Amino acid sequence: MADISTIKSVRVDALVALRIVKHATGVYPTTVYGSLLGMEVDGVLQITNAFPFPTSAEGDDSSSSALTPKNKGVMWYQNEMIKCLREVNVDANNVGWYQSTTLGNFINSNFIENQAHYQSQMNERTVALIYDSTRSAQGGLAIKAYRLTPQFMVAYKENKFSSENLIKHNLTYKDILQEVPLTLYNSHLAISLLHQLSIPPQPPSNLPVSVSSLTNPPTYPQPNFPVSTNFNALDLTIDPILEKSCDLILESIEAHNTEANNAAYYQRSLAREQTKITAWQQKRKTENSVRAAQKLPPLAEDEWQKLFKLPQEPSRLDSLLISRQVEQYARQVDGVTATSSAKLFALNGGIPRF
Amino acid sequence: MDRESFIHLTKPVAAGSTTASPLQVVIYAQALFAILDHSLRRSPDQERVIGTLLGVRSEDGSEIEIRNCFAVGHNESQEQVEVDMDYHKQMYNLHLKANPKEVLVGWYATSPELNTFSALIQNFYASNGDGTHPYPAVHLTVSSNPGKDITCRTYISSSVGTTADRAADSCLFVPVPYEIKYAETERNALESLSLGKASSDRQVSNIVDIHSLEAGIIELLEMVSRVSNYVSQILAGETLPSVAIGQALLNTLNLAPKVDASELEKLFNTHLQDVLLVSYLANTIRTQIDLSNKLASTVGTIATPPKTDHKRQQKERD
Repeated sequence: MADISTIKSVRVDALVALRIVKHATGVYPTTVYGSLLGMEVDGVLQITNAFPFPTSAEGDDSSSSALTPKNKGVMWYQNEMIKCLREVNVDANNVGWYQSTTLGNFINSNFIENQAHYQSQMNERTVALIYDSTRSAQGGLAIKAYRLTPQFMVAYKENKFSSENLIKHNLTYKDILQEVPLTLYNSHLAISLLHQLSIPPQPPSNLPVSVSSLTNPPTYPQPNFPVSTNFNALDLTIDPILEKSCDLILESIEAHNTEANNAAYYQRSLAREQTKITAWQQKRKTENSVRAAQKLPPLAEDEWQKLFKLPQEPSRLDSLLISRQVEQYARQVDGVTATSSAKLFALNGGIPRF
Repeated sequence: MDRESFIHLTKPVAAGSTTASPLQVVIYAQALFAILDHSLRRSPDQERVIGTLLGVRSEDGSEIEIRNCFAVGHNESQEQVEVDMDYHKQMYNLHLKANPKEVLVGWYATSPELNTFSALIQNFYASNGDGTHPYPAVHLTVSSNPGKDITCRTYISSSVGTTADRAADSCLFVPVPYEIKYAETERNALESLSLGKASSDRQVSNIVDIHSLEAGIIELLEMVSRVSNYVSQILAGETLPSVAIGQALLNTLNLAPKVDASELEKLFNTHLQDVLLVSYLANTIRTQIDLSNKLASTVGTIATPPKTDHKRQQKERD
């Protein structure tokens, strides 16, 4: 397995960012998946192209797992596409995949399986890009790159998430994912285009005649819209986002409770079995001492292993993922509240009072 | 981008030709970025590269949105041109699988020049069967010469009267107006990307919410100062006043809500408290989850669940 330090950062081309945004916005709020192409240069993973996965893979029902990178139909599609793109000089190495999400609710077993699938290959240089469509609508571009940590990969390969194993690998919920620093990159031509797009249209030379001519300018065909700052970031409707975050956290806590109950159930049944076993061993001991007094051969003392079966410890993976998910939400809420309270204070200072 | 003015007339439809009615073309920024990327990746001996444009056509065919594109390999020499049509078909099918709504609308080339080969390719894309027939095929040229502006031109074709053996490689390119558009979220992305347009390494890092908030506020302040400059210039008699602009400004200023000071204070406080409460609780939960996990690994079991649920109820009061 490749060392984690092989990828120090991720560089995303403007084209890739725009493709992902377009794909995710087109079918919002459905989660979308796609493939990333690029290459690794001196520890920087350059992602230079991306394409979406087909909406319904052939020969498969459209369950949620049918669209993920592990699916056979998708694999075939991906290989075909890469083969084609190689012919037009695109960096034809698969370097990971992307997924859209709403408010960061992406940490689940599905995500882990997909990324583990990529990272389990030899000499891999892969990342998962997570694009948050809800947060991007608030202004800015919320794209993050993640990898699974090596210690998690080791534990995942053994596929044993018992408490003992977790302690052995020193694995806590904080060590599942590693965020890779991400930069956006523009080619020279893209920079040139961006500069051109941000030139504001020429103001009309003559003065407007009426108010309506100002609000709906009759200049058809419309000049190109300049890429200027838009004011989505100044939007004051913060309640929906907070509410949604609360809902999501609540959901995760429910899940956490279920997991905790499972664990408690396991604990209880384990304790019960253990008392039974000690009772049996006690009984066997007294029996043996009686038999020894009667000069009879003692009965085997380890027969309890056949008679009693200790309950299996439930996998801790889900509970780890839920914990990580809650952490993700909490950090996100932190970010949102920082900007929201700033906006509130600005508003409070800005509104004239009468 | 500069644009030329041209006049567009509806001509009587000649038999066998595609419709040449006025047409509005909308180009989405993403397609332009993809074309530029392809242009960067061409072999050094290639003058231009071409590709297929995908998009959506309005029902009557009068408006075409170019949403996506893919590159198609081709070879051009003095005498002949070779376009990899099998490749085009294969890619087109692959794209249709991922996005069935986006259909073939035309093709692009990365040089502003139109020549016989252009006509040949154009006739293929507009042809019956594999092409866009009965709709016109759009030809988009994007010039990317160093030192000059990136210029786009859009054309549709119309047939010209020539002898039958020359019909395949001749057509008249009719310029059509176009517009560059972004979807709202695409705009956010472009804005983030353009943060790096002035830096020498052409990179943007550390994209945070608070940055876009800051940029928005700065822009807003600039606009306010521009307006107040304008007004003071008029008051000083330096610029010609305009009733319309004055009216518009007054309308805008009237939008400011008239709220009672104490009322506003109250609103502000309740909202702020909500925000802070959610933040506080989220962090409490994080700590509890952390604690729960620590306990779980030390005891070797999962500890009892954190008792957070009753606290959460308060949040829902809004």
